[in-house]
Amino acid sequence: MTYEERWTGFEAHIDGGGMVEAGDWMPDEYRAGVLKFIEMHANSEIMGAIPEREQIPGAPSLKRKMSLTAKVQDEVGHAQLLYRVAEDLGKSRDAMYWDLVSGKSKFHNVFHYPTFHWGDAAVIGWLIDGAALVTQASLLESSYAPYTRVLKRICAEEQLHLRHGEDITLELASGTDRQRAMLQDALNRWWLPIIHFFGPKSNVDKDLLLRWRVKTRTNEDLRAEFLDRYVPKVLELGFELPTPVPFKDAASGRWVVNDEDIDWAPLDAIKKNQGPETARRLGLRRRSYEDHRWVREALNDQTSQAA
Amino acid sequence: MRRSTIRPRRRPESLVEIYEVFRRSGHKEPFEHCGSVTAPDARMATVMAKECFTRRGEGRHLWVIRRADIHSWSDDSLPDPAADKTYRFAHAYRDVIKKRALARSRAQADAR
Repeated sequence: MTYEERWTGFEAHIDGGGMVEAGDWMPDEYRAGVLKFIEMHANSEIMGAIPEREQIPGAPSLKRKMSLTAKVQDEVGHAQLLYRVAEDLGKSRDAMYWDLVSGKSKFHNVFHYPTFHWGDAAVIGWLIDGAALVTQASLLESSYAPYTRVLKRICAEEQLHLRHGEDITLELASGTDRQRAMLQDALNRWWLPIIHFFGPKSNVDKDLLLRWRVKTRTNEDLRAEFLDRYVPKVLELGFELPTPVPFKDAASGRWVVNDEDIDWAPLDAIKKNQGPETARRLGLRRRSYEDHRWVREALNDQTSQAA
Repeated sequence: MRRSTIRPRRRPESLVEIYEVFRRSGHKEPFEHCGSVTAPDARMATVMAKECFTRRGEGRHLWVIRRADIHSWSDDSLPDPAADKTYRFAHAYRDVIKKRALARSRAQADAR
């Protein structure tokens, strides 16, 4: 069979709702696309642990410290699962980690921003995890089967994280004026990055990942679902959202933002790994990569294996 | 951005292997595949698997098996069997209710 014939067969398989396993034949473009996508997801989990970790010392009680620590552990655990799935597509974990810490590969935009106080823990835990869950739930229907299997587990844990974040948010929202001001401050800073989180409008004709059902929905579709679901929840607590200010669309009755109100410049900088916290956080990862070198080497040491 | 001077050191030969992990939630459940880990030996694979897959008490029983030792079979392209093999399934015997009624009336007829 020629490459073209196999390609045609593969597309027919995908179009018929078929799934792909790691050992199956797949076009190089599919393999590379899925690998890059899962690698970026894994990178984001491991980098996403850092901003949340920053708030562990500032947690208002021992219980909050412990629950946030557990959540950070979960995020790192998700990275473990995802790197494993990505490795089976042909790139070693070491190479992926190296590409991450040397700034060659990417991670999600929201993890390039600084955190300042417990209000950040609330907004990250509730709205950013909420946004992530909308995206990840859509990927449960992805055509790459090993990815959907780990996502099942990841989504279950993200559901819990969402409750955890909502719990923190509601505690602040029903607290003192100062606590409410902290939450408003965090909302002001995070709103635009959250809008960016879903990415710019998808190019449906060119996006191979959409065509092959690696991704199942467009960026704007996922953003629309997030807005309609979460905007009323924020507003009912008496908080305001900055530009792009959401409003209820008269025709559809859904909460939306105007596309022309979205300033994409900050996202463009982050795509070049030039976000406000990019260098510092990658530096932290690089340091832990170095600090833990002895563990990797001990695991891999032939002489200790023989003993 | 600034580039690091740190380079990953070349290893002569990696001893790390892939282990598939199976988990059982209780004695009444079968072991189910739940993911995989990399480790230099089975003992280390067990430690990794425990950390990755039992954080919420999802199971107390784990198997780790070297991927290379797993023999698998699958063939999605197999056509449906040509012969009617519905007799292998319970739904093929759904008409027992009708047959029971028939047998009962026959028994009553005999008794008369």
